[in-house]
Amino acid sequence: MAAARPTSTPLMARIQTPLGVRALTLSVLIVGWELIGRTGLLFPDLFPSITEILQSLWIYVTTPVMIPHIKASLYEVGGAIAIAALLGIPLGILWGSKQSWLEIVEPLILYAAVVPKIVIFPVFILFLGIDVHSKLAVGAIAAFFPISLLTIAGMREVKKVYVDVARTIGVTPAKIATHVYLPAIAGQVFTGIRIGLGAAVTGALLAETKIAKAGLGFMIVEYYGQFRIADMYALLLFIFILAALANWAMKSLFGMLSPISRKSGDAGMYF
Amino acid sequence: MSESTRLTAWRLGLIFGALLIVETSVRAGWISTFFLAAPTRAVIVLWQQLLHGNALVLTGITLFEITACLLIATILGVLAGFFLWRYKLIGTSYETLLAALFSSPVILAYPIFLVTFGRTSAAVIALSSIFGLIPIIINTKGAFQNVNPILLQVGASMNLTRRQLFRHILIPAVAPAIFSGFRLALTYILKSVLGLEYVAQVGGVGMWLSDAAFKFEVEEVYAGLFGTIVLSILFLYLINRCEHWFRR
Repeated sequence: MAAARPTSTPLMARIQTPLGVRALTLSVLIVGWELIGRTGLLFPDLFPSITEILQSLWIYVTTPVMIPHIKASLYEVGGAIAIAALLGIPLGILWGSKQSWLEIVEPLILYAAVVPKIVIFPVFILFLGIDVHSKLAVGAIAAFFPISLLTIAGMREVKKVYVDVARTIGVTPAKIATHVYLPAIAGQVFTGIRIGLGAAVTGALLAETKIAKAGLGFMIVEYYGQFRIADMYALLLFIFILAALANWAMKSLFGMLSPISRKSGDAGMYF
Repeated sequence: MSESTRLTAWRLGLIFGALLIVETSVRAGWISTFFLAAPTRAVIVLWQQLLHGNALVLTGITLFEITACLLIATILGVLAGFFLWRYKLIGTSYETLLAALFSSPVILAYPIFLVTFGRTSAAVIALSSIFGLIPIIINTKGAFQNVNPILLQVGASMNLTRRQLFRHILIPAVAPAIFSGFRLALTYILKSVLGLEYVAQVGGVGMWLSDAAFKFEVEEVYAGLFGTIVLSILFLYLINRCEHWFRR
C-alpha cells in the first residue's frame, strides 16, 4: 500500500479537477457504449459499437459522399443567417432607438419568439416549394429573433451622451446608426449572430428531416428509414462537430473584431 | 387612458392591422387562396375543429405531453441541480458539459428516440424533457450557489437544525431563481413538443398541422398554425402571470 501511494496520488489529483472529471466521464461513456455495442447487451439495434460509428464518420470526412448534402445545408444556413442579420440588425436598431417604439414592439417580439419556428414550415412550403428555399426561410426566421433581441439589448446599453454628442455636431441619422450605434452594440450583435447561427442550423436541418431532396438533415432521416443506425449516429456526430466548429470560428472571429463580445458568451444558454 | 392601456391598444392595432391587410389581400384575390387562407376562415375552421373535429382531443394530448415533460424535468432537474451544488467538483465539471449539450442541435437526434420509444408520445416526452431538464439543473445549482451566506449565518446563530435551515432559509431563498429556470424550461419544452409533434407526425396539435399540410388543406394548415401560435402565447402569458404573482 505504502509503495502504491506515490504513483496513485498524482493520478487522483489529476482526476480530481473539472477537466479530469469530464475526461473520466467521457471515457466511461465511450468504453461503456463500446462494450454494450460489441456484446449486444442492451438494444442491439440501437447501440452499434463506437468503432462502427467512427468508421462511418471516417467515410464522411475522407470521401465526397456528403459533399452535395453539406453544400445544400450550408446554402440554407448561410442564406438564413445573412437574411436574419440583414433584417434583424436594422430592425433592432430602429426599435431600440426610441423607447416608445420599444415598449410597443418588444413584448410582441418576445411572444413571437416562443412560437416554434418549425411549425411555419408548411406555409413556406406553400410559398417556396420543397426545395432549399423553404428551409432557408425557416432558418432565417429562427435566427431573426436572437439577432433582433440582442441588437435591442445592445441598443439599451448605448449611452445617450454618445448620440447627443453626434447630434450636436450635426451628424445625420444614418451616420449615427453606422458610426455611433453599430460600434457600441457590436458585442451584443455578434453574440446575437452566433446564437442565431445555432438557431438557423437547428431550424434548417430540422426542416430538412421533414421534407427535402438534399441536406444533412435529409440524410439523417434517410438513414433512419433504412435502419442504418451506425451511419445515423455518425452523421449526427458529424453535424455536432461542424456546428461546434462554426460556433468556435465565429466566437474567435468576433473576439478578434470586438473585445466586448468576449464578455457576453453566456447569453447563448437562454435562446 | 392609462399608459398600459395605450400600449395594449397600439399592440392590438398592429396585430389586427396586419391581419386586416392579409384578409383584404386574400378576399380581393391579390394573393391566391392556394397559398394563403383568410384569417377569418382560419379562425372559423379552427372553431369548427374544436367543436366537431378532434382538435380538442389533440390539444389535450399536447397539454399532457407538456405537463409530463415539465414534471420529469422539474423533479429530476431540481434533484440534479441540488446534487451538483452539494458536490462542487462534479458540479463545476458537468455544468460545462450540460451547457455544451444544450447548445448543440440535439433535437436532430429525434429518430433515435423514435426507434427507442416507437412513434408515440413517449418519444416526444423523452426528448423534450431533456430540453427542460438542463435549464432547471443550471438554475437550481446557481440558485443554491448564490444564497446570501448571511442568511445561513443568521439561521445558524439562531441554533436552527440542518432541516430547519433547509426548510426555512434555503428553500425560500432559492425558490425565485428555480422558478426562472422553470419558466425557461417550459418555453423550451413547449417549442420542442410542438416542433417534434409536427416533424415526427406524432401526438397532438403539431401532428394535426402536419396532416393538414400533407393533404394540402390550406385553410386547415392556417387554422392549425393559428392554434399553435395561440397555445404558445397563452402558455407564455400564463407563466408571466405566475411569475409576477410568485415574486410579489
